[in-house]
Amino acid sequence: MTAGSEADASAPRQLRPGLWQTVNERYPGSMITKHDLVPLAPLRKPLSECRVTFISTSGVQPKGTTPFDTVHPVGDYSFRRVPSSARVDELEIHQLKYPTAGAERDLNVIFPIDRLRELVAEGVIGGLTDDFYTFIGYNMDPERLERTLAEDIAAAVSAEGADIALAAPA
Amino acid sequence: MARDVTEHARPPRAVFLPFMMGHHFGVPFHQALQRRVLLECLDHLVHATESGEIRDLPLTWAQARKEGTEIERTLGRGGR
Repeated sequence: MTAGSEADASAPRQLRPGLWQTVNERYPGSMITKHDLVPLAPLRKPLSECRVTFISTSGVQPKGTTPFDTVHPVGDYSFRRVPSSARVDELEIHQLKYPTAGAERDLNVIFPIDRLRELVAEGVIGGLTDDFYTFIGYNMDPERLERTLAEDIAAAVSAEGADIALAAPA
Repeated sequence: MARDVTEHARPPRAVFLPFMMGHHFGVPFHQALQRRVLLECLDHLVHATESGEIRDLPLTWAQARKEGTEIERTLGRGGR
C-alpha cells in the first residue's frame, strides 16, 4: 500500500465546486479577495534548521480553555495557543462549520501534531514553536479578521521565532 | 480543499488537496498519507519560484478513503 497512491487525475478538482461564489452570494462581502500577491519570501536556511509553526482554522483547542464562540452571528476573532507538545487526547474541537467525523477519531487529519513531531524527531525540520495557533473559520468580516486576528497571530508567531508557518483551513 | 477560495485569497504558496472538508491531511490512521501531505507542503515551500503558485497533488479522496478503510481493517478498527 502506498500513501495516497497516484491516481490518474491530471487536474485534481475540489469535491464541492464554486464554493467561493456560493458563500459570497449568501453572505455578501464575507469572502476574502486579494488583488495583489505578496512577494515570495525565500527560505534562508535548510529545512532541517527551521523552526515550524502551525496555524489552523480547525477550532482545535486545549481542553479546559474558553471554547470558541461558534454561534456568534459575525464570528469569533480570538485565537488559542495549542502547545506543540500536547497529546491529542488533551485537545478538543470547537467548530461547527466542517465535518469532524474523521478528526474525532484521529485529530491528525486536520491538526497533524503527531506527524509534525515525527518530522522533528527524524531531523526533517529543525523544531516546532512552543505553541501552535488556532481559530475558527466562521468570520463574516474579512477586513476585521485581517486587522485583528491575523495581525495578532503573526505577532505571536514572530515572537516565537518561527522560520516557517504552515497554515491550514478546515 | 477549496481551490477557488485559495485563488481568491492568493497566498504566496499553497498546496491543493482534493479531499473532503475537515480532512486536509487525509483519513484517520493513514499516517503515511498525513506525512506525505506535510512533506509536499515543505517541498513546495522550498521549490516554489513565483508567488501565488498552487501545487496540485495527484491524489483523490476516493483513493485516500479506500486506503484508510484497509488500514483500519488491518488495525482491527473496522474501517468505515
